[in-house]
Amino acid sequence: MNNKQTESLCPHCFRKIPARIVPRGKKVYMEKTCPEHGSFRTILWRGEPAMNTWQRPKIPAPIHYPNTEVVKGCPYDCGICPEHRQHTCTALLEITLDCNIRCPVCFADGGRPGGDPSLDTIESWYQTLLDSGGPYNIQLSGGEPTLRDDLPDIITRGRRLGFDFIQVNTNGIRFYEEPNFLKSSIDAGLASLFLQFDGMTGDVYEKLRGADYLKIKLGLIELCAEMDLGVILVPTVVPGVNDHQLGDIIAFALKNMPTIRGVHFQPISYFGRYPSAPADSMRITLPEVMQKIENQTGGEIKTTNFAPPGCENSLCSFHGNFVLMPSDKLVPLTKRDAAACSCQEAQPAEEGAAAARRFVAQNWRRRSCCCGNETAGESKVSDSLDIFLERIKTHKFCLSAMAFQDVWNINLERLRDCCIHVVSPEGRRIPFCAYNLTNREGVPLYRV
Amino acid sequence: MARIVCAKCNIPLEKSKVTISYLGNSFPVDLLKCPQCNLVFIPEDLALGKMLQVEKALEDK
Repeated sequence: MNNKQTESLCPHCFRKIPARIVPRGKKVYMEKTCPEHGSFRTILWRGEPAMNTWQRPKIPAPIHYPNTEVVKGCPYDCGICPEHRQHTCTALLEITLDCNIRCPVCFADGGRPGGDPSLDTIESWYQTLLDSGGPYNIQLSGGEPTLRDDLPDIITRGRRLGFDFIQVNTNGIRFYEEPNFLKSSIDAGLASLFLQFDGMTGDVYEKLRGADYLKIKLGLIELCAEMDLGVILVPTVVPGVNDHQLGDIIAFALKNMPTIRGVHFQPISYFGRYPSAPADSMRITLPEVMQKIENQTGGEIKTTNFAPPGCENSLCSFHGNFVLMPSDKLVPLTKRDAAACSCQEAQPAEEGAAAARRFVAQNWRRRSCCCGNETAGESKVSDSLDIFLERIKTHKFCLSAMAFQDVWNINLERLRDCCIHVVSPEGRRIPFCAYNLTNREGVPLYRV
Repeated sequence: MARIVCAKCNIPLEKSKVTISYLGNSFPVDLLKCPQCNLVFIPEDLALGKMLQVEKALEDK
Protein backbone atom coordinates (compact mmCIF):
# COMPACT_ATOMS: atom_id res chain seq x y z
CA MET A 1 0.00 0.00 0.00
CA ASN A 2 1.45 3.34 -1.04
CA ASN A 3 1.02 6.71 0.59
CA LYS A 4 -2.24 8.34 -0.34
CA GLN A 5 -2.82 12.06 -0.46
CA THR A 6 -5.92 13.63 0.98
CA GLU A 7 -6.93 16.80 2.80
CA SER A 8 -7.35 17.47 6.49
CA LEU A 9 -7.44 20.40 8.90
CA CYS A 10 -4.93 21.99 11.25
CA PRO A 11 -5.95 20.97 14.79
CA HIS A 12 -5.10 24.48 15.97
CA CYS A 13 -6.43 26.91 13.35
CA PHE A 14 -8.80 24.75 11.23
CA ARG A 15 -6.84 25.69 8.11
CA LYS A 16 -7.27 23.17 5.30
CA ILE A 17 -3.96 21.36 4.85
CA PRO A 18 -2.73 18.43 2.76
CA ALA A 19 -2.49 15.11 4.57
CA ARG A 20 -0.88 11.79 3.76
CA ILE A 21 -2.23 8.35 4.64
CA VAL A 22 0.98 6.51 5.47
CA PRO A 23 1.29 2.75 6.05
CA ARG A 24 4.02 1.65 8.47
CA GLY A 25 4.00 -2.11 8.84
CA LYS A 26 0.48 -3.15 9.87
CA LYS A 27 -0.37 0.34 11.07
CA VAL A 28 -1.62 3.24 9.01
CA TYR A 29 -1.21 6.87 10.08
CA MET A 30 -2.37 10.28 8.98
CA GLU A 31 0.52 12.73 8.72
CA LYS A 32 -0.05 16.44 8.13
CA THR A 33 1.73 19.74 8.57
CA CYS A 34 0.34 23.21 9.12
CA PRO A 35 2.83 25.86 7.98
CA GLU A 36 2.04 27.82 11.13
CA HIS A 37 1.36 25.20 13.83
CA GLY A 38 3.63 22.29 12.99
CA SER A 39 3.31 18.59 12.17
CA PHE A 40 0.79 16.05 13.43
CA ARG A 41 0.64 12.28 13.17
CA THR A 42 -2.36 10.16 14.23
CA ILE A 43 -3.06 6.44 14.06
CA LEU A 44 -5.93 5.52 11.67
CA TRP A 45 -5.82 1.73 11.35
CA ARG A 46 -4.08 -1.17 13.09
CA GLY A 47 -3.95 -4.72 11.76
CA GLU A 48 -6.30 -6.92 9.75
CA PRO A 49 -8.40 -6.59 7.71
CA ALA A 50 -5.89 -4.23 6.10
CA MET A 51 -7.05 -0.72 5.26
CA ASN A 52 -6.32 -1.11 1.54
CA THR A 53 -8.65 -4.12 1.40
CA TRP A 54 -11.47 -2.35 3.22
CA GLN A 55 -13.09 -0.85 0.17
CA ARG A 56 -16.53 -0.49 -1.28
CA PRO A 57 -16.28 1.92 -4.19
CA LYS A 58 -19.21 4.24 -4.80
CA ILE A 59 -20.36 6.62 -7.47
CA PRO A 60 -20.96 9.92 -5.63
CA ALA A 61 -24.63 10.77 -5.14
CA PRO A 62 -25.80 13.91 -6.91
CA ILE A 63 -26.99 16.43 -4.35
CA HIS A 64 -30.48 17.31 -5.53
CA TYR A 65 -31.27 19.73 -2.73
CA PRO A 66 -28.15 21.66 -1.63
CA ASN A 67 -28.86 24.19 1.12
CA THR A 68 -25.63 26.17 0.74
CA GLU A 69 -23.30 27.27 -2.04
CA VAL A 70 -19.63 26.43 -2.38
CA VAL A 71 -17.77 29.55 -1.30
CA LYS A 72 -14.75 28.53 0.77
CA GLY A 73 -14.80 24.79 -0.01
CA CYS A 74 -15.10 21.74 2.22
CA PRO A 75 -15.58 21.76 5.21
CA TYR A 76 -16.50 25.45 5.53
CA ASP A 77 -19.77 25.53 3.52
CA CYS A 78 -21.74 22.68 5.11
CA GLY A 79 -25.45 22.83 4.81
CA ILE A 80 -25.13 20.53 2.75
CA CYS A 81 -23.29 21.98 -0.25
CA PRO A 82 -23.39 20.79 -3.88
CA GLU A 83 -19.94 19.20 -3.55
CA HIS A 84 -21.11 16.76 -0.88
CA ARG A 85 -21.21 13.19 -2.17
CA GLN A 86 -23.90 11.43 -0.16
CA HIS A 87 -27.52 11.96 0.75
CA THR A 88 -28.93 12.04 4.24
CA CYS A 89 -29.54 8.61 5.75
CA THR A 90 -30.17 9.68 9.33
CA ALA A 91 -30.93 13.25 10.38
CA LEU A 92 -30.10 14.19 13.96
CA LEU A 93 -32.24 16.77 15.67
CA GLU A 94 -30.69 18.17 18.84
CA ILE A 95 -33.80 19.07 20.79
CA THR A 96 -31.99 20.19 23.95
CA LEU A 97 -28.45 20.78 25.14
CA ASP A 98 -29.45 20.10 28.74
CA CYS A 99 -28.32 16.82 30.27
CA ASN A 100 -28.83 14.93 33.53
CA ILE A 101 -25.35 13.44 33.68
CA ARG A 102 -21.90 14.88 33.13
CA CYS A 103 -19.88 12.57 30.94
CA PRO A 104 -16.15 13.12 30.57
CA VAL A 105 -16.78 12.09 26.95
CA CYS A 106 -19.56 13.91 25.11
CA PHE A 107 -19.97 14.80 21.46
CA ALA A 108 -22.54 17.40 22.10
CA ASP A 109 -21.00 19.44 24.90
CA GLY A 110 -24.18 18.65 26.82
CA GLY A 111 -25.24 20.05 30.17
CA ARG A 112 -26.33 23.52 29.10
CA PRO A 113 -29.88 24.10 30.33
CA GLY A 114 -32.13 26.68 28.72
CA GLY A 115 -32.53 27.80 25.16
CA ASP A 116 -34.25 24.67 23.90
CA PRO A 117 -35.76 25.02 20.41
CA SER A 118 -39.55 25.45 20.45
CA LEU A 119 -41.93 22.83 19.09
CA ASP A 120 -42.53 25.09 16.09
CA THR A 121 -38.80 25.38 15.43
CA ILE A 122 -38.47 21.60 15.52
CA GLU A 123 -41.43 21.30 13.16
CA SER A 124 -39.66 23.71 10.81
CA TRP A 125 -36.60 21.38 10.90
CA TYR A 126 -38.81 18.46 9.94
CA GLN A 127 -40.21 20.58 7.11
CA THR A 128 -36.69 21.52 5.94
CA LEU A 129 -35.86 17.83 5.75
CA LEU A 130 -38.98 17.16 3.71
CA ASP A 131 -38.05 20.04 1.40
CA SER A 132 -34.56 18.54 1.05
CA GLY A 133 -35.55 15.12 -0.24
CA GLY A 134 -36.91 13.60 2.99
CA PRO A 135 -38.42 11.96 4.90
CA TYR A 136 -35.26 10.46 6.36
CA ASN A 137 -34.71 8.38 9.47
CA ILE A 138 -34.76 10.66 12.48
CA GLN A 139 -32.68 10.49 15.61
CA LEU A 140 -33.74 12.83 18.39
CA SER A 141 -30.60 13.72 20.25
CA GLY A 142 -29.12 16.30 22.57
CA GLY A 143 -27.94 16.81 25.31
CA GLU A 144 -30.37 14.31 26.76
CA PRO A 145 -33.56 14.47 24.69
CA THR A 146 -35.74 12.81 27.35
CA LEU A 147 -35.35 15.89 29.56
CA ARG A 148 -37.96 17.59 27.39
CA ASP A 149 -41.42 17.00 28.81
CA ASP A 150 -42.87 17.53 25.32
CA LEU A 151 -40.83 14.68 23.78
CA PRO A 152 -44.03 12.74 22.88
CA ASP A 153 -45.34 15.86 21.08
CA ILE A 154 -42.06 16.18 19.16
CA ILE A 155 -42.39 12.54 18.07
CA THR A 156 -46.07 13.00 17.17
CA ARG A 157 -45.31 16.01 14.97
CA GLY A 158 -42.60 14.09 13.12
CA ARG A 159 -44.84 11.08 12.58
CA ARG A 160 -47.66 13.28 11.32
CA LEU A 161 -45.31 14.78 8.74
CA GLY A 162 -44.43 11.31 7.45
CA PHE A 163 -41.25 10.40 9.34
CA ASP A 164 -41.86 6.71 10.01
CA PHE A 165 -38.66 5.93 11.87
CA ILE A 166 -38.00 8.15 14.88
CA GLN A 167 -35.41 7.00 17.37
CA VAL A 168 -34.25 8.60 20.62
CA ASN A 169 -30.55 8.73 21.47
CA THR A 170 -30.58 8.50 25.26
CA ASN A 171 -28.75 7.60 28.46
CA GLY A 172 -32.06 6.02 29.52
CA ILE A 173 -32.27 7.43 33.04
CA ARG A 174 -35.56 9.31 32.75
CA PHE A 175 -37.28 6.57 30.76
CA TYR A 176 -36.28 4.09 33.49
CA GLU A 177 -37.44 6.34 36.31
CA GLU A 178 -40.69 7.32 34.58
CA PRO A 179 -42.14 4.31 32.72
CA ASN A 180 -45.28 6.31 31.91
CA PHE A 181 -43.16 8.84 30.05
CA LEU A 182 -41.61 6.00 28.06
CA LYS A 183 -45.09 4.65 27.35
CA SER A 184 -46.29 8.07 26.15
CA SER A 185 -43.31 8.31 23.81
CA ILE A 186 -44.03 4.85 22.40
CA ASP A 187 -47.70 5.72 21.98
CA ALA A 188 -46.62 8.84 20.11
CA GLY A 189 -44.73 6.66 17.62
CA LEU A 190 -41.22 6.14 19.01
CA ALA A 191 -39.67 3.27 16.99
CA SER A 192 -36.48 2.46 18.83
CA LEU A 193 -33.98 3.48 21.51
CA PHE A 194 -30.35 4.24 20.70
CA LEU A 195 -29.22 3.48 24.23
CA GLN A 196 -25.87 4.56 25.64
CA PHE A 197 -24.59 1.25 27.04
CA ASP A 198 -20.86 1.09 27.66
CA GLY A 199 -20.31 -2.20 29.46
CA MET A 200 -21.42 -4.96 31.76
CA THR A 201 -19.79 -3.71 34.99
CA GLY A 202 -20.41 -0.61 37.07
CA ASP A 203 -16.83 0.65 36.98
CA VAL A 204 -17.06 1.26 33.22
CA TYR A 205 -19.92 3.70 33.79
CA GLU A 206 -18.09 5.35 36.70
CA LYS A 207 -15.13 6.03 34.43
CA LEU A 208 -17.04 7.11 31.30
CA ARG A 209 -20.23 8.59 32.73
CA GLY A 210 -19.32 9.68 36.26
CA ALA A 211 -21.49 7.12 38.15
CA ASP A 212 -22.63 3.49 38.02
CA TYR A 213 -25.69 3.42 35.77
CA LEU A 214 -25.64 -0.32 34.96
CA LYS A 215 -28.76 -1.23 36.98
CA ILE A 216 -30.68 1.59 35.33
CA LYS A 217 -29.74 0.35 31.85
CA LEU A 218 -30.71 -3.23 32.70
CA GLY A 219 -33.99 -2.12 34.25
CA LEU A 220 -34.84 0.00 31.21
CA ILE A 221 -34.21 -2.91 28.83
CA GLU A 222 -36.71 -4.97 30.88
CA LEU A 223 -39.23 -2.15 30.55
CA CYS A 224 -38.65 -2.00 26.79
CA ALA A 225 -39.27 -5.76 26.59
CA GLU A 226 -42.59 -5.30 28.38
CA MET A 227 -43.53 -2.40 26.11
CA ASP A 228 -42.33 -4.06 22.89
CA LEU A 229 -39.78 -1.37 22.03
CA GLY A 230 -36.61 -2.19 20.09
CA VAL A 231 -33.24 -1.18 21.53
CA ILE A 232 -29.83 -0.68 19.94
CA LEU A 233 -27.00 -0.79 22.48
CA VAL A 234 -24.41 1.92 21.85
CA PRO A 235 -21.10 1.46 23.65
CA THR A 236 -18.40 4.11 23.36
CA VAL A 237 -15.27 1.94 23.16
CA VAL A 238 -12.28 3.26 25.09
CA PRO A 239 -8.96 1.39 25.23
CA GLY A 240 -8.24 0.07 28.71
CA VAL A 241 -11.73 0.92 29.99
CA ASN A 242 -14.21 -1.35 28.22
CA ASP A 243 -12.51 -2.81 25.16
CA HIS A 244 -12.28 -6.14 27.03
CA GLN A 245 -16.09 -6.28 27.38
CA LEU A 246 -17.19 -6.27 23.72
CA GLY A 247 -17.91 -10.01 23.80
CA ASP A 248 -19.85 -9.71 27.08
CA ILE A 249 -21.96 -6.88 25.65
CA ILE A 250 -22.75 -8.96 22.55
CA ALA A 251 -23.63 -12.01 24.69
CA PHE A 252 -25.97 -9.84 26.78
CA ALA A 253 -27.56 -8.41 23.63
CA LEU A 254 -28.18 -11.87 22.16
CA LYS A 255 -29.72 -13.03 25.43
CA ASN A 256 -32.11 -10.10 25.29
CA MET A 257 -33.25 -10.45 21.71
CA PRO A 258 -35.60 -9.59 20.15
CA THR A 259 -35.91 -6.50 22.38
CA ILE A 260 -32.27 -5.72 21.70
CA ARG A 261 -31.90 -5.46 17.94
CA GLY A 262 -28.17 -4.96 17.77
CA VAL A 263 -25.03 -3.32 19.09
CA HIS A 264 -23.47 -0.24 17.51
CA PHE A 265 -19.92 0.31 18.79
CA GLN A 266 -18.42 3.78 18.66
CA PRO A 267 -14.62 3.88 19.08
CA ILE A 268 -13.82 6.99 21.11
CA SER A 269 -12.96 10.18 19.26
CA TYR A 270 -11.67 13.34 20.86
CA PHE A 271 -13.74 16.51 20.91
CA GLY A 272 -13.24 19.43 23.28
CA ARG A 273 -10.06 20.92 24.67
CA TYR A 274 -6.85 18.92 24.18
CA PRO A 275 -3.77 21.14 24.44
CA SER A 276 -1.69 18.25 23.10
CA ALA A 277 -2.77 15.54 20.70
CA PRO A 278 -4.42 12.47 22.28
CA ALA A 279 -1.86 9.64 22.31
CA ASP A 280 -2.32 6.84 19.80
CA SER A 281 -2.69 4.46 22.78
CA MET A 282 -5.93 6.33 23.60
CA ARG A 283 -7.47 5.24 20.29
CA ILE A 284 -8.95 1.98 19.07
CA THR A 285 -9.42 1.51 15.32
CA LEU A 286 -12.12 -0.39 13.41
CA PRO A 287 -10.04 -3.52 12.61
CA GLU A 288 -9.09 -3.77 16.28
CA VAL A 289 -12.77 -3.69 17.26
CA MET A 290 -13.45 -6.49 14.74
CA GLN A 291 -10.52 -8.54 16.05
CA LYS A 292 -11.60 -8.09 19.67
CA ILE A 293 -15.14 -9.16 18.79
CA GLU A 294 -13.76 -12.33 17.19
CA ASN A 295 -11.48 -13.07 20.17
CA GLN A 296 -14.04 -12.25 22.84
CA THR A 297 -16.83 -14.29 21.24
CA GLY A 298 -14.53 -17.33 21.01
CA GLY A 299 -14.63 -17.10 17.21
CA GLU A 300 -18.42 -17.40 17.03
CA ILE A 301 -18.35 -14.05 15.25
CA LYS A 302 -15.44 -13.62 12.86
CA THR A 303 -13.91 -10.56 11.21
CA THR A 304 -14.95 -12.14 7.89
CA ASN A 305 -18.58 -11.73 8.99
CA PHE A 306 -18.18 -7.96 8.68
CA ALA A 307 -18.29 -5.79 5.56
CA PRO A 308 -17.68 -2.13 4.71
CA PRO A 309 -20.75 0.08 4.36
CA GLY A 310 -22.73 0.68 1.19
CA CYS A 311 -23.81 4.13 2.38
CA GLU A 312 -21.03 6.15 4.04
CA ASN A 313 -17.30 6.06 3.24
CA SER A 314 -15.82 2.55 3.55
CA LEU A 315 -13.35 3.70 6.22
CA CYS A 316 -16.11 5.05 8.48
CA SER A 317 -17.72 1.81 9.58
CA PHE A 318 -18.26 -1.93 9.50
CA HIS A 319 -21.41 -3.96 9.88
CA GLY A 320 -22.46 -7.59 10.07
CA ASN A 321 -25.93 -9.08 10.19
CA PHE A 322 -26.86 -12.37 11.78
CA VAL A 323 -29.88 -14.50 12.58
CA LEU A 324 -30.23 -15.99 16.04
CA MET A 325 -31.84 -19.41 15.58
CA PRO A 326 -34.07 -21.13 18.19
CA SER A 327 -31.08 -23.36 19.03
CA ASP A 328 -29.11 -20.18 19.94
CA LYS A 329 -26.93 -20.72 16.89
CA LEU A 330 -25.91 -17.44 15.31
CA VAL A 331 -26.06 -17.65 11.51
CA PRO A 332 -23.97 -14.96 9.77
CA LEU A 333 -25.63 -13.26 6.82
CA THR A 334 -22.95 -10.76 5.81
CA LYS A 335 -19.90 -11.89 3.90
CA ARG A 336 -17.00 -9.55 3.45
CA ASP A 337 -15.85 -11.06 0.18
CA ALA A 338 -19.18 -10.30 -1.42
CA ALA A 339 -19.19 -6.68 -0.35
CA ALA A 340 -15.56 -5.65 0.00
CA CYS A 341 -13.48 -6.12 -3.07
CA SER A 342 -11.29 -3.51 -4.66
CA CYS A 343 -12.00 -5.03 -8.07
CA GLN A 344 -15.76 -4.72 -7.81
CA GLU A 345 -17.74 -2.22 -9.77
CA ALA A 346 -18.58 1.04 -8.04
CA GLN A 347 -22.19 1.19 -6.89
CA PRO A 348 -24.22 4.40 -6.82
CA ALA A 349 -23.93 5.96 -3.35
CA GLU A 350 -27.52 7.18 -3.72
CA GLU A 351 -28.76 3.57 -3.78
CA GLY A 352 -26.56 2.76 -0.77
CA ALA A 353 -28.15 5.58 1.24
CA ALA A 354 -31.67 4.42 0.36
CA ALA A 355 -30.81 0.82 1.28
CA ALA A 356 -29.26 1.87 4.60
CA ARG A 357 -32.35 3.95 5.46
CA ARG A 358 -34.62 1.00 4.72
CA PHE A 359 -32.42 -1.42 6.66
CA VAL A 360 -32.35 0.70 9.82
CA ALA A 361 -36.06 1.46 9.66
CA GLN A 362 -36.89 -2.24 9.30
CA ASN A 363 -34.38 -3.83 11.62
CA TRP A 364 -33.69 -1.37 14.44
CA ARG A 365 -37.28 -1.56 15.62
CA ARG A 366 -38.76 -4.61 17.29
CA ARG A 367 -40.72 -6.81 14.94
CA SER A 368 -43.04 -9.32 16.55
CA CYS A 369 -43.75 -12.50 14.64
CA CYS A 370 -46.95 -12.73 12.62
CA CYS A 371 -49.10 -13.99 15.49
CA GLY A 372 -47.56 -11.83 18.19
CA ASN A 373 -46.39 -14.91 20.06
CA GLU A 374 -43.04 -16.43 19.20
CA THR A 375 -43.62 -19.97 20.47
CA ALA A 376 -47.02 -20.18 18.89
CA GLY A 377 -45.45 -18.87 15.68
CA GLU A 378 -42.90 -21.67 15.63
CA SER A 379 -45.57 -24.33 16.09
CA LYS A 380 -47.05 -23.27 12.76
CA VAL A 381 -43.85 -23.68 10.77
CA SER A 382 -43.33 -26.82 8.79
CA ASP A 383 -39.60 -27.11 8.10
CA SER A 384 -36.19 -25.55 8.64
CA LEU A 385 -36.67 -23.08 5.78
CA ASP A 386 -39.83 -21.76 7.44
CA ILE A 387 -38.08 -21.47 10.80
CA PHE A 388 -35.19 -19.57 9.20
CA LEU A 389 -37.53 -17.19 7.38
CA GLU A 390 -39.54 -16.59 10.54
CA ARG A 391 -36.41 -15.89 12.56
CA ILE A 392 -35.13 -13.45 9.91
CA LYS A 393 -38.21 -11.37 10.63
CA THR A 394 -37.97 -11.42 14.41
CA HIS A 395 -34.38 -12.27 15.36
CA LYS A 396 -32.09 -10.51 12.91
CA PHE A 397 -29.13 -9.20 14.93
CA CYS A 398 -27.20 -6.16 13.67
CA LEU A 399 -23.62 -5.57 14.77
CA SER A 400 -21.88 -2.44 13.59
CA ALA A 401 -19.29 0.17 14.49
CA MET A 402 -18.73 3.70 13.33
CA ALA A 403 -15.47 5.61 13.68
CA PHE A 404 -16.18 9.30 14.06
CA GLN A 405 -13.49 11.73 12.99
CA ASP A 406 -11.99 14.41 15.19
CA VAL A 407 -9.69 17.30 14.34
CA TRP A 408 -6.60 15.09 14.68
CA ASN A 409 -7.60 12.47 12.12
CA ILE A 410 -10.24 14.12 9.93
CA ASN A 411 -10.06 13.15 6.27
CA LEU A 412 -12.14 15.54 4.17
CA GLU A 413 -12.66 12.85 1.54
CA ARG A 414 -14.48 10.77 4.16
CA LEU A 415 -16.38 13.81 5.38
CA ARG A 416 -17.81 14.45 1.91
CA ASP A 417 -19.25 10.91 1.95
CA CYS A 418 -21.02 11.39 5.29
CA CYS A 419 -24.71 10.40 5.48
CA ILE A 420 -25.44 11.30 9.10
CA HIS A 421 -26.41 14.92 9.17
CA VAL A 422 -27.15 17.12 12.14
CA VAL A 423 -29.82 19.74 11.57
CA SER A 424 -28.30 22.99 12.86
CA PRO A 425 -30.43 25.54 14.75
CA GLU A 426 -30.93 27.51 11.51
CA GLY A 427 -32.02 24.36 9.67
CA ARG A 428 -28.87 23.46 7.73
CA ARG A 429 -27.79 19.82 7.37
CA ILE A 430 -24.23 19.47 8.62
CA PRO A 431 -22.27 16.19 8.45
CA PHE A 432 -21.98 14.76 11.96
CA CYS A 433 -18.20 14.96 12.24
CA ALA A 434 -18.08 18.51 10.90
CA TYR A 435 -20.80 19.59 13.32
CA ASN A 436 -19.02 18.18 16.36
CA LEU A 437 -15.52 19.19 15.29
CA THR A 438 -13.54 21.28 17.77
CA ASN A 439 -9.97 22.51 17.57
CA ARG A 440 -7.50 21.69 20.32
CA GLU A 441 -8.65 24.66 22.34
CA GLY A 442 -12.16 23.22 22.26
CA VAL A 443 -13.47 25.88 19.86
CA PRO A 444 -16.12 24.41 17.52
CA LEU A 445 -16.12 24.78 13.74
CA TYR A 446 -19.93 24.79 13.57
CA ARG A 447 -21.63 24.12 16.87
CA VAL A 448 -22.90 27.30 18.52
CA MET B 1 -51.67 -36.22 -5.43
CA ALA B 2 -50.39 -37.87 -8.59
CA ARG B 3 -47.31 -40.04 -8.21
CA ILE B 4 -44.10 -38.54 -9.52
CA VAL B 5 -41.82 -40.97 -11.24
CA CYS B 6 -38.06 -40.70 -11.72
CA ALA B 7 -37.49 -40.19 -15.46
CA LYS B 8 -34.20 -42.06 -15.33
CA CYS B 9 -35.11 -45.07 -13.14
CA ASN B 10 -38.82 -45.13 -13.86
CA ILE B 11 -39.73 -45.73 -10.21
CA PRO B 12 -41.88 -43.52 -7.94
CA LEU B 13 -40.14 -40.85 -5.87
CA GLU B 14 -40.45 -41.21 -2.08
CA LYS B 15 -40.67 -38.59 0.64
CA SER B 16 -37.28 -38.33 2.30
CA LYS B 17 -35.21 -36.05 4.53
CA VAL B 18 -32.88 -34.02 2.33
CA THR B 19 -30.31 -31.43 3.45
CA ILE B 20 -30.13 -28.33 1.29
CA SER B 21 -26.96 -26.25 1.64
CA TYR B 22 -26.38 -22.69 0.57
CA LEU B 23 -23.44 -20.43 1.37
CA GLY B 24 -22.32 -22.65 4.23
CA ASN B 25 -25.75 -23.07 5.83
CA SER B 26 -27.69 -26.34 5.90
CA PHE B 27 -31.44 -26.82 5.96
CA PRO B 28 -32.94 -30.30 6.46
CA VAL B 29 -36.27 -30.53 4.62
CA ASP B 30 -38.64 -33.29 3.47
CA LEU B 31 -38.63 -33.66 -0.31
CA LEU B 32 -39.43 -36.30 -2.89
CA LYS B 33 -36.38 -38.35 -3.81
CA CYS B 34 -35.66 -41.32 -6.08
CA PRO B 35 -34.75 -44.26 -3.82
CA GLN B 36 -32.42 -45.59 -6.52
CA CYS B 37 -30.44 -42.69 -8.02
CA ASN B 38 -31.15 -40.13 -5.23
CA LEU B 39 -32.43 -37.52 -7.66
CA VAL B 40 -34.39 -34.91 -5.66
CA PHE B 41 -37.50 -33.24 -6.99
CA ILE B 42 -37.86 -29.58 -5.98
CA PRO B 43 -41.30 -28.22 -6.87
CA GLU B 44 -41.32 -24.91 -8.71
CA ASP B 45 -43.29 -23.13 -5.99
CA LEU B 46 -40.65 -24.13 -3.41
CA ALA B 47 -37.74 -23.10 -5.65
CA LEU B 48 -39.28 -19.74 -6.49
CA GLY B 49 -40.89 -19.28 -3.08
CA LYS B 50 -39.30 -19.75 0.29
CA MET B 51 -36.10 -21.30 -1.08
CA LEU B 52 -35.48 -18.11 -3.04
CA GLN B 53 -36.33 -16.02 0.03
CA VAL B 54 -33.76 -17.92 2.09
CA GLU B 55 -31.15 -17.51 -0.66
CA LYS B 56 -31.73 -13.78 -0.78
CA ALA B 57 -31.49 -13.50 3.01
CA LEU B 58 -28.17 -15.35 2.97
CA GLU B 59 -26.87 -13.12 0.21
CA ASP B 60 -27.13 -10.10 2.52
CA LYS B 61 -24.38 -7.59 1.84
